[in-house]
Amino acid sequence: MNKLIYDFALWVDGHASSTSLHESFYMYNWVESTHVLALMISLGMLFLIDLRMLGFALPGVPASTIARRLSVPMIFGFTVMFATGLLLFYAIPVRTSQSLWFRIKLVLLVAAALNAFLFHRRMLSAPTGWDHQIKAPRNLRVGAALSLLFWALIVVCGRFIAYDWFDCQRDPSPLVGLLAGCLDGQTVF
Amino acid sequence: MPTALPFPRTVSTALLLALGVYFALSEIRIEWYASLRPFFEWMETTAFGRLGKSYGGAFALVQAMHLLSMAVLGGTVLVSDARLMGIVLKNVPINQVLEPCHRLFNCSLSLVVLSGVFMACGVAIKVYYLEVFWYKMLALAMGVLFAYFVRRPLLKPSAEAVPQRLRTLVGVASLMTWFTVAATGRWIGFSG
Repeated sequence: MNKLIYDFALWVDGHASSTSLHESFYMYNWVESTHVLALMISLGMLFLIDLRMLGFALPGVPASTIARRLSVPMIFGFTVMFATGLLLFYAIPVRTSQSLWFRIKLVLLVAAALNAFLFHRRMLSAPTGWDHQIKAPRNLRVGAALSLLFWALIVVCGRFIAYDWFDCQRDPSPLVGLLAGCLDGQTVF
Repeated sequence: MPTALPFPRTVSTALLLALGVYFALSEIRIEWYASLRPFFEWMETTAFGRLGKSYGGAFALVQAMHLLSMAVLGGTVLVSDARLMGIVLKNVPINQVLEPCHRLFNCSLSLVVLSGVFMACGVAIKVYYLEVFWYKMLALAMGVLFAYFVRRPLLKPSAEAVPQRLRTLVGVASLMTWFTVAATGRWIGFSG
């Protein structure tokens, strides 16, 4: 599996546009800045929804109204964030695919998506009458708390990708090497 | 009997900003800038500075906290300004959105400033020479002044009483200011 990922990353890395994007100071930084600014929009909206469910924000506004109205800018932010995230991967495919933090981030992203799906389903099936209460029902509060936790960890992992502590070329421990997908004898990092 | 000046806090803020522009364009700024260098050197010797310099992990964690608090701050600004402009939550009374958002704004701003000070201590001399750092500080000062001395006094009594055109203007100005704060902040990471 790791060999397959490495080969795919090498194939992406072979594209001239990947190298151009990586080496373009302004373009790469614009993409990264847009990624972070989109993160602020999407997470800003998501955190407000979660905090409303937990009873820490906008108590006077019906919870489902907040969730419904803020989900539009949130999805817009997530779309931009996802697109720019793909571009960031495209620019540095080999190192990113072998970054331990990137891999943890992907797992957390899947967990966050699953949690969002379950949260949405629970919200639709929740009995009526909770909308105007300061706190949402317990199962929704758990979903909101998990969402805050997952996204906080995703941001931390995203930040850590920039650091080379566990990079393959630094000869990490066998366990880290295995988790990061480092290969024996690889020449491109 | 002299009549009281209308909007005293707004007028003082406008005067303060005018003073800031004068300061930025005059010779005083150059002298003041040079005299700040020892302060930035001292920042690097503080516990925050030593921690930030020695432990990359601690610095990165605080960076992540800075980002997360910026996300909450951005969320509160975006929602309250969009409500002011009549884009979202149109059926909810404005102050019912603005007040709780303002409380969250206060908390997130405190975290942003605290984590920002920590980060600045770790790379104080570097940021001292970065032009974009000073732009960010200027934008941040403007954002804070605007939020507490223009936007809030104007809208707190009853935002509904303020004409829609003025509310839109306030919303746009606020969004632009905080966007500049975030964008210049991001650019610090690419400079130097």
